Amino acid sequence: MKKRALALAMAVMMTAALSGCGSSNQGGATTAAPETTTAAEKAAETTAAASEKSDNGYELALVTDLGTIDDKSFNQGAWEGMKKYAEENKISYKYYQPQEGTTDSYLETIGLAIEGGAKLVVCPGFLFEEPVFLAQDQYKDVHFILLDGEPHNGDYSEFRTEANVMPILFQEDEPGFLAGYAAVKDGYTKLGFLGGMAVPAVIRYGYGFAEGADVAAKEMGIDSVEIMYNYTGAFAATPEAQSMAASWYQNGTEVIFGCGGAVGNSVMAAAEEKGTKVIGVDVDQSFESNTVITSAMKELSVSVYDGVKAFYDNSFPGGKTSIFSAKNNGIGLPMETSKFTKFTQQDYDGIFAQLKDGKIELVQPSQDNNNPTVDLKLEKTKINFVE
Amino acid sequence: MSVVYFIFQQTMYFMIPLMIVALGAMFSERSGIINIALEGIMTMGAFTGILFIHFTGGSMNGQFQLIVAVLISMVTGMVFSLFHAYASINMKSNQVISGTALNMFAPAFAIFVARVIQGVQQVQFNNTFRITSVPFLGKIPFFGPLLFQNAYITTYIGIAIFLLSTIVLYKTRFGLRLRSCGEHPQAADSAGINVYRMQYAGVMISGALGGLGGLVFVVPTSTNFNADVAGYGFLALAVLIFGQWKPVNIMLASLFFGLMKAIASAYSGIPFLSSLGIPSYFYKMVPYIITLIVLIFTSRNSQAPKAEGIPYDKGQR
Repeated sequence: MKKRALALAMAVMMTAALSGCGSSNQGGATTAAPETTTAAEKAAETTAAASEKSDNGYELALVTDLGTIDDKSFNQGAWEGMKKYAEENKISYKYYQPQEGTTDSYLETIGLAIEGGAKLVVCPGFLFEEPVFLAQDQYKDVHFILLDGEPHNGDYSEFRTEANVMPILFQEDEPGFLAGYAAVKDGYTKLGFLGGMAVPAVIRYGYGFAEGADVAAKEMGIDSVEIMYNYTGAFAATPEAQSMAASWYQNGTEVIFGCGGAVGNSVMAAAEEKGTKVIGVDVDQSFESNTVITSAMKELSVSVYDGVKAFYDNSFPGGKTSIFSAKNNGIGLPMETSKFTKFTQQDYDGIFAQLKDGKIELVQPSQDNNNPTVDLKLEKTKINFVE
Repeated sequence: MSVVYFIFQQTMYFMIPLMIVALGAMFSERSGIINIALEGIMTMGAFTGILFIHFTGGSMNGQFQLIVAVLISMVTGMVFSLFHAYASINMKSNQVISGTALNMFAPAFAIFVARVIQGVQQVQFNNTFRITSVPFLGKIPFFGPLLFQNAYITTYIGIAIFLLSTIVLYKTRFGLRLRSCGEHPQAADSAGINVYRMQYAGVMISGALGGLGGLVFVVPTSTNFNADVAGYGFLALAVLIFGQWKPVNIMLASLFFGLMKAIASAYSGIPFLSSLGIPSYFYKMVPYIITLIVLIFTSRNSQAPKAEGIPYDKGQR
C-alpha cells in the first residue's frame, strides 16, 4: 500500500511534467483531425498511386504545424490566404493536421494530402524545413509553399530548394523594429519583450524590437530606454507568463511586446489588471484586448495568396526563397487600429520608407545564441535579459 | 512593501485553483476512488464557465456573472465526473485508465464544441471581475492590500471551500462515513453505510470542485480559453499527496507551491530577487524537489486512504 502511494506520486509528477511539455505544443497531438488519423497509415503504402488520383479530391492542401487553423497567428494566416484564392477561383481545398510534431508525422501527412489530390501543399512553420526537403524529391510533380523556413536535411549540412518549392521568409526584425520605434516615439521608455520559444522568428522579432527602440531613443535624445527581455519557452497562456508580465508592470514597465501566440493573452490579462499596454504580434490583435496599442504584423495571408496565385498563373517562383519585408509591403503595423498618442501616420511612413530603402541595417541573430545582450550593440538602450 | 503585496496577490492566482482542485481530489480519494481525471474535469469546467461568460458578456453585472459561471462550471464538472464514477464504481474498471480517458476526451470535446458553436477554438472573454479594492476591508492597513485588493470573488469562495471541507470531513457524519469508505469499505458496509452512494458523493464533489478550479485558473491569467489548463490538474494531485490527504496540510502545500511558482515567474520584476542572480530554474525546481524529499520521508507512514484505487467488492473480506 505504501509503495503504491509512492509509485502513484511519482507517476503523477512525471505525467505533470509531460503534460507541461504537451500543453506548450498547443495541444497539437490531441487536436489531430480524425480523418487524418485513420488514413495516415494508409498513406505510406499507397503513395505510388498518388499522381493518378489527383484529378479529383482537394487540389489545395494545407498541413498545419503544432498550432491549428484558428491559432490567430501562423496557421490561420496561411489558411485564410489559401482559402481566399480557392474560393475566388472555385478550387477545392482542405487542411490536414499531423498527429505529432515530428518530421515523420509531417511527411506522412503531406503524403496523405497528396493522395487526397493535392497539387499544391502549403506548409506553415519552420518545423517543415526537413519534411519539405524530403518531400520535394519524393513528390516531384507536386508544388510546395513553405512558410518561415528553407528546406534542409536533418543535420543542416545540405540546403537545397528544388523548382517545385517556394520558401517564404519574413523579415520579422522589421515589424519588431517598427513596433519598438513606435513605442519609444510614443513616449514609452520602459519596455518589455516576452517571447515564446526562442525560435528564429521570435528572436528576430525581439532583436528588431530592441533596435527600433534604440534608434528612436537616439533620435529623441533619450538616454535610458530599458527593455526587460525573456523567452517563456512555450506558446501557451499560463499563470507563469501572466505573473512574469505582471511583475514587470509592477516594477515600472509600461508596455510589453507579447511575442508568442497565447503568451500574448497572458500579457494582456496582466496589462488589464495593471492598466498598462501591450504590443501584439503576427496579426492585428487589437480586437483581443483594449490594452493592445499596436501589433507587429506579417502579411501571412497575402504571402500565401500570392504564392497560390503564382502557381495557377504558371509563374510559380520555385527554387529560390521569397522574402517578405518592408520592400514588398509584406510586414507592417496596423496604423488604423493602433492607439498611439504621439506617433503619427507621418512618422510611420517616414520610418517605413527608410526600412524600405534599406537605410537601416538590422543585426541578424548569430547561430546557437539567444542572448540578445551578446549580439546587439545598443547605445541608449539597456536590455535586462531574464534567463 | 508593495512588492510583498504584489507577490501575495500573484500567489493567490496560483494557490486558489490548486487548493480547490486538490481538496476536490481529497474528497474522491478519501472515499476510495482515485480521480486522476481532474485535468480533464478542470478543462470541461473552465470551458462551460468561460463559454457562458463569452455569451453573456456585458449583459449583466460582472460579479453576478462570475458567480453564475462558477455554478455552471461546478455542475459541468460534477456531470462530467459521473462518467468516472460510473466506470470505477459500478463497472469496477481500473480507475487510472478511466481517469486518463476523461483527460483525453475533455480538450478534444472543448475544441470541437467551440469550433461548432463559434468557428474558432479559442473562447474569448472580457475580464470584468477583478475587485480593485473591497469596500471597507480594502482599507485595513497591511491586511487590506494583502487580501482585499486586486482580488477575485473566487479567492474568497476558495477560502470558504477550504473551511467548509475541513468541517465536513472531520465534524460531520457524512465526513466520517466518507473516510471510512476509503479506509475499509467492507467494514463501513457492515455498519450499514451505502458504500456506493458515499463513493459517488466523493467523486461528484471532486468533479464540482475540479470544474470550479478550472474556471478559477483561467479567469485571472488569460483573455481567452484555449482548451488547456497547463497541467494544473496533475499538479493538484501532487499537492494532494504533499498535503497527505488532509485539508489543512493541502492548504499549506498549495500555499507553498503557489508562493514558489509566483516567485519563480515574478522574480525578474522584483529588484531584490533579481539582484541575487539566482537563475529562475532554481525557483522552478524547488517545489518539486521538496515534494520528492517530503515523500521520501513520509512514504513510510503515508496517510493515503487504505482502500484507495481498489474497486469495492461486497463479497471480499
